[in-house]
Order: sequence, then C-alpha cells, then structure tokens
Amino acid sequence: MKNALEVSHLTKDYGSFKLDDVSFTIPGGTIMGLIGENGAGKSTTIKCILNLIRRDGGAITVFGRDNLREERAVKEEIGVVLDEVLFHDMLRPRQVGKILSGLYPSWDGALFEHYLKQFGLTGKQVVREFSRGMKMKLSIAAAFAARPRLLILDEATSGLDPVVRDEILDELLAFIRDEDHAVLISSHITSDLEKAADYITYLHKGKVAVWGAKDELLDTYGKVVCGRGDLEKVDRKLLVGSRVGQFGCEALVKDRRALAKAHPHLAVEPATLEDIMVFTGKGDAQ
Amino acid sequence: MRGLIYKDLAVLKKQMSTLLMFLVVYGGFCVAGVFDFSILGALVAVFGLTVPMSSVAMDDSAHWDRYAVATPAGRRGVVAGKYLFTLLVIGVSTLAAALGMAALSLAGLTEEGVADLMAIAVSCGVTVVLLDAILLPFLLKYGAEKARLISMITFVVIFGGAILLGGGLSSGAPLPTVPEWVLTALPVLLVILAAGGYGVSYAVAQGIYARKEF
Repeated sequence: MKNALEVSHLTKDYGSFKLDDVSFTIPGGTIMGLIGENGAGKSTTIKCILNLIRRDGGAITVFGRDNLREERAVKEEIGVVLDEVLFHDMLRPRQVGKILSGLYPSWDGALFEHYLKQFGLTGKQVVREFSRGMKMKLSIAAAFAARPRLLILDEATSGLDPVVRDEILDELLAFIRDEDHAVLISSHITSDLEKAADYITYLHKGKVAVWGAKDELLDTYGKVVCGRGDLEKVDRKLLVGSRVGQFGCEALVKDRRALAKAHPHLAVEPATLEDIMVFTGKGDAQ
Repeated sequence: MRGLIYKDLAVLKKQMSTLLMFLVVYGGFCVAGVFDFSILGALVAVFGLTVPMSSVAMDDSAHWDRYAVATPAGRRGVVAGKYLFTLLVIGVSTLAAALGMAALSLAGLTEEGVADLMAIAVSCGVTVVLLDAILLPFLLKYGAEKARLISMITFVVIFGGAILLGGGLSSGAPLPTVPEWVLTALPVLLVILAAGGYGVSYAVAQGIYARKEF
C-alpha cells in the first residue's frame, strides 16, 4: 500500500514553542487522526504540510512528492478544510465554486453541486448568513470537489453538532473507500476519531507521544480503577499516568494484558482515546 | 489565476459599481461645464489606487490568503493574481476614461483635441501603475490597514513634490534646465519607468510573500 503522506523528523521552532522531530505516515485508503491538547502542534504540523509556514527541518512527501519542491503538483492532490471558513462573507456558494474551479485543475463542478444539494446550500444565501455548520459543509463540499487524493481537515468538526459531525464522518469514510485516497483529520473530539480513524498520532508538547493503528492502541492500552494502595503496588513501568482522588485512583496502563497478568485482582477496562490523551498529559506532568 | 481574478471581481462588485457611478456623475459635471474633462483622468487614479487596496483589505478581513496559499495557486499565484488584477483595473479604467473623453471631445463639448485627452488618460494610467508599484509590496507585507498610511505618505511626497516643483518653476527659481531630448522622450521614459518599476515591485512582492507565514 502506497503512503499518501510521509512526515519525517519535522521541526519548527517558534522560540516559545517547538514542533520537535515529528514523524508519521498515512497509508493510502486510511484516515489518520491527529490529536493533542491546545497548542500541542497539530495546526503547526498541518501548516507545514500545506507550506503555510516554513519548517526548520525534516521532510514531507505527499504521494511520494516533496511538498516544497513540487508544491503545485502536491497541492493539486490535496483538499483542505481549515479550522475557520475563509471565504468572503458576501459570496454565494456557487461563486465560491466558480473561484475554486479556476484554482484546482481537477475541479468537479457537478460534484460540488451534488454536495451543495446534499448539504442544503443551494439557496441564495451568502456566506455571512451561514451557521458555522453550514460554513463547514461548504468548505467540505469545496474540498471534495477539488477531486483530491489527500484530504486535510484541521479542527473541521469542532463546534458542530453531533448530527452534522456524523454526516461529515460518513463522507470521509466514503472517500477512503478508494485505496488511493487518504484523510488527515486533527480534532479534539476523540470520539469522532474513534469512530472513523484507522491510525492515531497524539502530539503532546510538540512531540509525538503516541502513534499507531487505532484498534491496536485501544486494544493494548487499558484503564485501571483501584485504591491508592493497589496502585502503589503496580510496576511504574506499566503506568502511563494516573489520577489520584479522595476515594480511589484511576490510571492508564500501556499493556492491559500484562497488568491483568501481574495483578489479576485489579479490574482493567479498555481505554478510550480521550483516556490516552488525558493520562499521557498527566503522566508527563507528574 | 483565473479564480483569483474572478474572486476579486466578485468581492468588489459593489465598490466598482459605486466607482462607476462616480464616473457617470463626474462625466455629467464635465458636460455641464462644472469640471474640465481631464478630471476623468484623475478618476483613473482613484480606481487604480483604491480598488487594489480594497481587494487586499477584503482578503485580510476574510483571512482569504491563508486558504489561497493552501490551494495550487500557492504564494506565487496569490501575488501574481493581485498584480494582474491591479493592471486590469488600471487598464480598464484608463480605457473607459479615454473613450469617455474622446466621445465628449468628438461631440464638440470641449476645445481640447482627442489626442491631448487620450494623452492625459494614458499618462494618468501610467502614473498609477508607478504608484501601485510602490504600494503593492507594502500592501502584501503589512496588509491594507497599515499600508494605508504608507500610501498617504507616498501621495504627499509625490504630489507635494510636484506642487513645489511647479511653484518653483512659476516663481522663476533657478532650477536645472532639462535637456530637450528628455522632454521629447518623457512619455516613453515614463512608460519604461512604470513597466520597470512594476516588474521590480512584482519581484520584491514575491520575495516578501515567500517569507510570509500564514
């Protein structure tokens, strides 16, 4: 399977924040979820891929092409949905389509119309009159109509209601049915990624804290709820992070089977992506 | 590129309609004898300077450039689009002013000849190209809000200088004599200066934009 995106040793130093040696790949026909707390480097990573900012080190290839040396060819393969809608307020969706048809060589006007109809955006309203959900749908329709092979969504689903988010996730799943297509989606809403993503990259303080196949991660990691005394007996190497409360403790373990074997009396639940994110952050703080 | 030009036209449709109204109203004043026909040439400057500035202001407020740079147009395309759009605006407004003045001259509403009026329109157009060559790199670097101040300073320096020069000439101040050939070649020199200046400005703007982070 050919890789749609390869990010290797990506570095960007802002002084106060550094994206440090970030590497991951997205195989064709898959969705990669990029998670992390605010300021972890998700948007910086996406900006580097789109050459919106200059990287200080590393390499990025899209379908085998360098994103800087072959920028135009690379961008013809990418559909973009950024965290805010950047179309001018006074434009109508069809005008947006007309503008983008002059920018993307593979622009599919019929597909854009199809999505406008599907998303209920065919009226005479201008962008200013759209809700956030409608604006995001317009951006998504535009990204699909560019006929990309790689779709990049930066916090595109944040602030949207669950129904709209579900609709968008369905579209993404339909998009990657073609093995030549791939999606990179950054989001805070880990439940969405649990539903749709095949791979997860968790960025923490500018570094890759966790990377891997989502099913594997969810299968390996576990959450243990126990008393303080029991937690103290657990080998620290197994623990990623913990939360100690007045009435008990919660901890994330990297290998839930190993923990179950070593401490059969402890109940280990499967961990969610949110658990992995929250406890890894906590572990780092501890 | 086509998309970027269409975007500017679609976004500035209202403003351009208003400016067109100005052209009609001032044309009416000229017919009524309130203003000289050469005022239509000044409108070329108004069009050529305000429309590109408004276009950058609109893009700034929508943060459009962040999106445009992520498309296949890229940084180079965004700059090229803005320079091409500016030339189009100047070209069309110069043509409109020239045609308007010629029509009114042919109708016998002014004593000035068609050739003279055409020369006024074209020299206004060429001067605006030169002014935009100064203004556009600042617009693309600092955005419309900050560049507005720079454009005002440019105006004051250029027009203030012209007024001072005119005052000096009329008061008989000992100014250096300009060789005859320079005066004869002035229109060609102005065109070369404007074209060269616009080219240099384009290269500078590309350099500025290549370093910009979005």
